[in-house]
Amino acid sequence: MPKFIGAISLAVALVISSGATAGDAEAGDKLYHESCHACHGPAGKGASSYPKVSGNTVEYTREKLIAYRSGQRFGPNSPLMIMMARPLSDEDIENLAAYLKDAKYE
Amino acid sequence: MKYSTCGSLVASAAVAIVIGSSVASAQGMDIPVLEATPVLEGLDSPWDMTVRADGTMFFTEKCKGLSMRSSDGTVTKIYGMKGTEGYSEAGEDLFCEGQAGMMGVAADRNFDQNRRLYVASTSDKYHGEGCKTNFERCDGNIVMRLTLSDDMSSVADRTDIVTDIQYKPLASDQPFGGPGAHNGGRVRIGPGGYLWVAGGDRHYGICPQSPELLCGKVLRVDTDGNAHPDNNPPDGFDSRIYTYGHRNVQGIDFRPSDGKAFTAEHGPWHSDEITALVNGGNAGWDPQENVAGRGACPDQYCGYEPEQMDELDPAVRASYMPMSDTRFEDLMPPTWNNNGWSQGTSSAAFLKGENWGIYEGRLATGVLGIGFGGTPIGQRIDMISITPDGLGINGITRMPLGFSKRFRGLVMAPDNSLYVATDEGEIYRVTATARQ
Repeated sequence: MPKFIGAISLAVALVISSGATAGDAEAGDKLYHESCHACHGPAGKGASSYPKVSGNTVEYTREKLIAYRSGQRFGPNSPLMIMMARPLSDEDIENLAAYLKDAKYE
Repeated sequence: MKYSTCGSLVASAAVAIVIGSSVASAQGMDIPVLEATPVLEGLDSPWDMTVRADGTMFFTEKCKGLSMRSSDGTVTKIYGMKGTEGYSEAGEDLFCEGQAGMMGVAADRNFDQNRRLYVASTSDKYHGEGCKTNFERCDGNIVMRLTLSDDMSSVADRTDIVTDIQYKPLASDQPFGGPGAHNGGRVRIGPGGYLWVAGGDRHYGICPQSPELLCGKVLRVDTDGNAHPDNNPPDGFDSRIYTYGHRNVQGIDFRPSDGKAFTAEHGPWHSDEITALVNGGNAGWDPQENVAGRGACPDQYCGYEPEQMDELDPAVRASYMPMSDTRFEDLMPPTWNNNGWSQGTSSAAFLKGENWGIYEGRLATGVLGIGFGGTPIGQRIDMISITPDGLGINGITRMPLGFSKRFRGLVMAPDNSLYVATDEGEIYRVTATARQ
């Protein structure tokens, strides 16, 4: 029993420390079309010199968006991404990551 | 899926009835019915097309190569980039990077006899000793003359007719700062069968005003790549130059009424421009550091300054780093500057044929859509009515397609339909049917 409680406590602690909850892919889809679609194309397939952003793990997309939001640069289009990520909430990021994980352009 | 404007026109008619006599003068206006139908989907960044009278279409994909769509819908892959598969042949010197790759394509005016196409692409064949830094000459944008085989399934001959347009080899400290930036890349056959080549500044500050470098220029050459005998650039300039002082010209076409050339080019966080070209004229872009009151700039390029990475009123930037600098006496003033915004004007084509009704003769201009610093994204095709002197506009109507995309390539077909390539991977055929 103490072991079981310990495991729950650890899981809760991890969720709280990362600020992460399961994203809402539907909400992420809506936000993507408002903020990201014009450059990255439909369903994150990429367009022109803007890279494909779909098909990545939730952890990968979350890490990148948090980094951009904090002003980190990696890549030539970083200023654009920093500006776009700046207003995103943790929830927005989780939603986008959930949507992009499985988004497919048919 | 087809997109039609019938619904919106019905709505307009209803409004006209309600308004009654106040719009009586509008009766009889020939507003065409437009319909957009995809002819190809699932492409990889289609960039440009040229269409023959029988409906055959040649098209480029930026990182793949040149293909042909026959009138029955069959696609034949003709000439690929390095590393591509499925093409009859690949150019081992051709590559894509960032904004660069295989771009414009135009057919010779005698194509039915000589099967010649002109294609702009990036190539590493002519780098020579250059291209080791961004601050030296790097010849990497070329124009190829491709003669197709009898069945047009492969290239029988490739001759590189322009080999010395500069290319950006490395990343720099700019927005969109990756290698391969600002190549221009549109090619069109103009009056008399001469070839026009639209260029970009490749993020190199000295390019647009340089007399020798071909970056930031519009060239007018014959089909062997030699200068048009009537080109009139300033003394000391390369004789192939028709106009100079450009930033990134991805649109060029010729007004049907008088043959005058007009360009469309991207602005730098401000001022996309349409410009009526004047032989030997200066479009007024000069992103060098330490000129015009500016000091040093990141990587010697002031093109996005001041505060290039941050949000700033476009008017402030336009004052500091103008697209059309009025300090030049030979300035070609813009016909239109997108109300001071940069949303990414790309290709442009004059609408030809009575089937376009009241829009006949307007300049259709594709806008890719860039929403930076509060600027609306603005993906659309504008139909711009230009004044006879070319120095202003009468008005603009957004083409009522019913959808928004990154509109990269526009070209008229011989049947007076408009072909449109999108970065999302489609090529549409837009037909216009006049009502009278």
